[in-house]
This record gives sequence, C-alpha cells and structure tokens, in this order.
Amino acid sequence: MRRLVTCLLFGALAVPTIQAARAESQLLYLTEDVPVSLDPDGPSSTVNTSQVGRINMLEPLIGYAMKGTNDEGIRIPDFTKYEGRLVESWDYDPESITWTLHLRHGVIGCSGNEFTADDVVYTLARAKSVTGATTIAWFSGSVAGIKGFTSDVFKGGDKSLGDAVTVVDPYTMKIKQGAPNAFFLMALSLHPIYMFDSKTMKAHSTPADPWSHDYANTESVAGYGPYCLERWVKGDEFVVHANAHYYRGKPPIDRIVMKKVPQGSNRVVTLRSGQAGLIQGLTPRDYAALRNTKGVTVGGVYGNEALFIAPDLKSPVWSNKLVREALAYGIDYAQVLQTGYVGQARKWDGLVPTSFPGSTKTLGQYVYNPEKAKQLLAQAGFPNGAGLEKYADDLKLTYAAERESTLGPVATVLQSSLRAVGFPIVLDPLPQSQMASRRMVKRDLPLALSDIDKAVAVDSIYDINLFFMTREAGGIVNTNNYSNPDLDALVLKARASLSADERLADAAKLQDMLAADLPWAPIAETRTQWAYTSKLSGLTWYPDNSLRWFDLTLAK
Amino acid sequence: MSARVRFIARRVAIGLVQLVGLVLAVFFLIRLMPADPAARLVGMNASPEALQAARHSLGLDRPILIQLADYVGLLGNPGVLQGYLGKSWSSGASVLTEIHQTLPITVELITLSFIGAFLVAFPIGMLCATRPGGLADRGTFIFSLFAGSQPEFWWGVLFIYIFFYLFNVAPPPLGRLDPLGTPPAVVTGFITIDSLLAWNFAALGDGLHHLMLPVATKVFVLSGPMIKMIRQNMVRALGSDYILYAESCGLPPRMIARYALRNSLAPALTLIGVLYGYVLGGAVLIETIFSLGGIGQYAVNAVLNFDYPAIEGVVLVITAVSLVVYLALDVVQVLLDPRVAG
Repeated sequence: MRRLVTCLLFGALAVPTIQAARAESQLLYLTEDVPVSLDPDGPSSTVNTSQVGRINMLEPLIGYAMKGTNDEGIRIPDFTKYEGRLVESWDYDPESITWTLHLRHGVIGCSGNEFTADDVVYTLARAKSVTGATTIAWFSGSVAGIKGFTSDVFKGGDKSLGDAVTVVDPYTMKIKQGAPNAFFLMALSLHPIYMFDSKTMKAHSTPADPWSHDYANTESVAGYGPYCLERWVKGDEFVVHANAHYYRGKPPIDRIVMKKVPQGSNRVVTLRSGQAGLIQGLTPRDYAALRNTKGVTVGGVYGNEALFIAPDLKSPVWSNKLVREALAYGIDYAQVLQTGYVGQARKWDGLVPTSFPGSTKTLGQYVYNPEKAKQLLAQAGFPNGAGLEKYADDLKLTYAAERESTLGPVATVLQSSLRAVGFPIVLDPLPQSQMASRRMVKRDLPLALSDIDKAVAVDSIYDINLFFMTREAGGIVNTNNYSNPDLDALVLKARASLSADERLADAAKLQDMLAADLPWAPIAETRTQWAYTSKLSGLTWYPDNSLRWFDLTLAK
Repeated sequence: MSARVRFIARRVAIGLVQLVGLVLAVFFLIRLMPADPAARLVGMNASPEALQAARHSLGLDRPILIQLADYVGLLGNPGVLQGYLGKSWSSGASVLTEIHQTLPITVELITLSFIGAFLVAFPIGMLCATRPGGLADRGTFIFSLFAGSQPEFWWGVLFIYIFFYLFNVAPPPLGRLDPLGTPPAVVTGFITIDSLLAWNFAALGDGLHHLMLPVATKVFVLSGPMIKMIRQNMVRALGSDYILYAESCGLPPRMIARYALRNSLAPALTLIGVLYGYVLGGAVLIETIFSLGGIGQYAVNAVLNFDYPAIEGVVLVITAVSLVVYLALDVVQVLLDPRVAG
C-alpha cells in the first residue's frame, strides 16, 4: 500500500523498498563527513572526521587507565595514569635520557602480520621523513622530545632516525630523547603516531612514494587496531569490520558504517526514526532538543573545548590591559550560555580547561559588570567608547563562517553586550581557511572569537606551551602575539621536569602569570557531545574528541 | 563542407577558446583569494615549520607562472594537456578520480529530474496552450507561482519531513543506497546503470527509491518554469501566420499541431540547455539535503578548503560538460531549423 501511495504521489516507478538485513552488531554512525585521508601526515589529518578513521584502524603504544564514568554515562580516562597498549612496560634512564620499551607479543593486525619493533622504527622514521602533505606525525615526535625531532629537518638537517632509536630485539627497543622532557609518554598516546604495520605499508610503496602516502590517502592504512577497512568512498561512507585477532579481544560491534550526512537536521531525523545508532556534529540547540526524545540518549563531557576571544596584543587598542579587562567585564556570560548553548556550557574561569590536571580558576573575578567595564574603558582613555571609532578595524569580531549556526547567535549577544559598554563591535565572519590564515600566518586578526582551538594532550603545561609561549622560545600556536619571557622560561623548566608535584606547582604559577596579563577573554567551556540510541553504551571521551569504536557496546 | 558542418566546427572552436580562457581566469583568480591554503591544511595547532613545509609540499612557494606551467603540464610532469588535473589538497586523491566519482551522481540526479520535469511540463504546457485562460491554465499558473515561491532546499526538507518522517513512504535522506546494504560494483558511477550492468535489481530498486525524493523535489521546482515556457511558445506558434495559413488550407489538426510543436521546441530546448548547465553547477543544495555526494558538494568543499586543484578541475569539467550540452543543442537546433546554420 505504501508503495502504491508513493507511486501515486510522485508518478515514479514502482520500486521495492530494500531493507538490507540488519544484524544487531552493526552500527550506523552519521557524521558531517567521512575520512578524506587516512594518513596522519595527509591532508585534512587535523579534521576530526578524518582522524577517527585511522584512530580506529591503528593502535597506540601507550594509553590511559579509565578513571570512571560521568553523570551522563561517558567514560573518562585518568590522564595521570598511563597504561600500556602495544607497549607492555617501559623503563627510563635519566642518565642517558633513554626510554626502553618492552613491546607486546602476539599482536596481529588486519593483514595478518605480527607487531614488532620494526613497526615502531618504521612509524617514527616515516614521521621524521616529513614527506607528507603535512608534518603532524613529526610534530608528535617533537612533543615527545625524541632526539633529532627538531625543526632542523626542515632546514636540510638529518631526516633519518640515527641513534635515537635502537632495536634490541623484536620486542625490545630504546628511544633516546634530545633533552629531558616530561611529555614523552603522553606524546606516544597521540594519534598521529599510532603504529603502522610496516610490512604492509612498505608493500604499497613506490620509488616516487617510499612512505606510501598515496596508499594512505586514497586506499587504506595497515595497522594493529580493532577495525579493518571494508569499504571507503570519500565524501560518502567509510565501512569497517572488526579485527578478529585484535589483542584486547574481538570488538563487541562487528561492523561500523560511518556515513556522511551533511545536514544536521537529517542526522537528527534519522536517529529519531531509529535507523541510525550514533550521530555527532549538532548544534547545542539540537542536542538540547534530543534530550527529551524517547529511545535517544545525549551524552557529553566538559573536555577541552572552549569559547574565548583572543585580541591581537600588538593592536593599539588591545595592547592596553585596561581595555582587555573592560572587554572581560563587558561580556554578558549568562546570556551567551543561554542563547548560544541553551545551558549546555558553563562559564570558563581560567585559561586551561578545567578537566586538565593542574587547571586553576584564576579568572573568576571577571563576571558581567557593565559599570566596571565602562569605568575601565574610561581609565584607558575611551570614556563611553569615545575615541574607539578611530580603531574600527580593531573592533571587528571575527569568527568562522562555517560555525555560523553555533557562533552566530553567540557573536550577536557579544556584540550587543559590548556595544552597551562602549565597544563599537562589528561582526566579521570569515571562511575558516581565511581565518586560520590570518591567525596562523599573518597573526593580525584583531579580535578572534574561537571555539575550535584545543590541546589534544591533557596536560596544563602542554596547553600553555601550545597557546601562550612565544614561538621564538618554542611555542607553537600563540596566534595573538602574547609575549612574556618569564612565562617562556618557566614553561621550559616545567616541560623538562619529571616530578608531577613540581609540574603541578609550576602549572599554578603559569596560570597566575596568565591571569595577571589576561591575554584572552575566556567565555565558556562547551560540552563535547554525541546523540545515540539508548541501546548504545561505552562511549569514552578522548582529548582528540574521536570515539574509539572498540569501547562501544550495542545491546540486543 | 556543408553549412551545418561549418557551423558545428565554428561552435566547437569557440567552445575550446572559452574553455582555455576560463581555465586561465580561474587559475589566477583563486590565487587572489585572501587566504593561505596551507594554513587550512595543517590545522590550528601547527608549528611555523610545519606550515612552511606544507606550503612547499603544495608548490605554493614557487613563482605563479611556474605553478601555471606545471598545472598545464609544460614542466615535464603530467598536467591538463596530458589529461591530469592534479591531486586534491584536501584529500590527496586524484582530482580526476574524485570528479569521476562525484559527477555521475549529479548528472544522474539532474538528468532524471529534467526528464521527469519535461514529461510533466510538456503535456500540461500543451494543454494550457490550447485553452489559454481555461481552468488548467489558471491552475498551472497558481502551481508555478507556488512551486517557484520557495527555494528548493526548503521543499526538500519539507518532503523529507512529510514522506520519510511522518508517512515513512520514502527512505531516509542518506544518499543513493541503504548504507547498510551492499552497493553494485562501480562501472559508470550511475547507480541505475551500474545496478543493471550487475544484474542487481535489488540495488536498482533501492537506488530508484532513494532517488525518488530528490528527483521529485527537482521536478516540482523545475516543472513550473518549463510549463510556462512550453505554453508561451505553443501559444505564440499557434497564433502565427503559417498556422493560420495551414488551418485555412484545411490541413488536419494533427499536422497543424506538429508544425506548431516543431517551431515551439527550438526556443524551449535552448532554455532547457541553459537550465541544465545552471542546475548542474548549482545542485549543491539538493545534494546536501539528501546526502548525495555530488559535484556540487565537491565544488563547495573545494572552495571552502581553498583546494586549488579541485576548484580548477571542477570548473574545467563543468564548463566542458556545459559546452557539450550547448553544442548538442546547437546541433539539434540546426536539425530543427536549417536556417540557423546559414
């Protein structure tokens, strides 16, 4: 009858409704996109929907123990307790700053090969070769402080591993650092240096492409992870099946179908109809609406995603701390949280995510106080904003146009509350590429509103190193020209310290320094969320915000 | 050489010159965009060295004329002249391969939609023309206003809500096939043809079922202007001197209708051709709504990612397809009206 109605309605051909057999252990996962590359050094490797493919096909050397489950059923790792994955145990010799890794025996990958030290050597050598479209794997090696993983590789320096990596036997190896560096184990847990199956990767190399980037960009990657690739159509779908030989046991869900559904409303409607099992990439409003839907669970975590304003500290307006303080007091935080996030975010009172060990709330004094903001603005020489009209370009609040559905309402609230205290703010949405270019290359964006910058390693020192240390001293991002030599020096000291207590004390001092300088105006910590069928459980938050499908269980 | 052949040869030559001009214009214009594609590539957490390395790997650190020569294929590496459109900067895959994957999706959708719209518009337009001001004519006028008054993405979303969510007579908007099923082997990229080639009638039915709503949306929107156009042309033809003369000569109505139809088809075909090219290049909304990864979505992603090879490839291919369509229409025009060639 339905088909008859359909044909009558559309005058279309009578078509049978094909319902493929749906086994209980299949999960249909709808996302904004599917992987466009599986190469950690490939294009788009920094995009979450690309990372998730290889993250579930490859395996790290090191992981974290689980801390527990939050009130929404999302599991949270304990980022202070490392746990072996492909490495079973490790030793550190401070004299020679060398780590000895004892590798796990009997780990079999999707190609049937066994994991050995050769795979670690291959993965690290590939990273240091810097032959891909990007050099994200090298960056992870650099964070780990592995000897020779310096920027010299870009200036004609040695691209081989040299004596940094030594194979003792197939299951034992030594890795030497260039200098004492506490990030070593943490960096080995990062997805850009998950381990390859070197034999299979080499089998797909060519003289022109010895590190098999083309294979990883267009066909597959080989590793020792829980899932093996079944089908991959870029821009459409990514299908994997469970690796029956996975060393932690066969994954509970046999097959995952990751499907690109660009329209958020379509992901929602398909989940509500019961045909999809897991969706992501919705607006806070969509998640809020789904919370009341029968058979659907919305789970999330306050992880490392946050909203803040980064003013260009070289600008004549924003270099004045009084003006920055006026900005912080002029933000109507409650309105932002309600309008932009429907209550699914919380005010951020620091500059390091609250979930990071060692994070402190050093900026709690900045609450919405229009009178105080006006007073500070007057002290800065701009009573009621008079004089700011000369700096119109510095008062353009820029955000990524692609994030309009979430950031558009937030930017409007900010504009409204800041105008009320005297800042003649103009909204200036830019394409993400253009915004990234202005922030990273030219570093001249006067006032950036961002919710995408995040540290993928849960470590306060690393976070400060990433965003606030000057590039000259070894900082990485620092897009708004913040400079504090004392902070640079303390980060360098803390980075080298292997004492957890000492590093926590240094993290607190660093955050005090930042609070005194106020380089950003932090606004909100936002939830990383997913919506899924209530039959699904085991979702675990990782700082790269990609789910590990091995963790998931689908009830019958 | 006959006038017809000379006419077609001239059209082909003009088309090729247009193609070269457009490729050059696009090559230079996209490089004026105020962004560094390498910044997008490496992400926000990249070091300056990584950014520089990415710029080098893309060849952006070379002079622009050297980049052009390389793109065209004059530096020893394969280029456009050798049929190679480069590798996408956002996926690392061959642009030609990606276009081969995405273009058939859009062409299949648009072609079926045009066939559907023509099948709907032709009889209704004829009917309206025979009785201008009649009930059918007035009803059609209202329908055209109604269908054209809202953008197609709105109709698409509305149709999904009604026919999938409320009545469950359409499949979920998840692309061309049930994502949990097994697709036929890709030969042409057209799901209908590939299913038939594989004798996979289950996939054929599933494909048609999934195409139903997007095609219906396009037909709904396209048929309005097509009906109007066919009606207007037929009214004009039926009121012309030669039809009056034919009627006064006592020719049978069927023959008179054939004369009128032949003369009203030429302008209609021109408009359909123009519309086809326009709709092909602007199919992104309907593709997005129904999760069809066609050339429109590919083009938009390429622009947002500042993916120069992909942008250049899409422009080249879409232009080539449009030129072929126009050329085909010119040929049909010449066949319908030999005076055009003169």
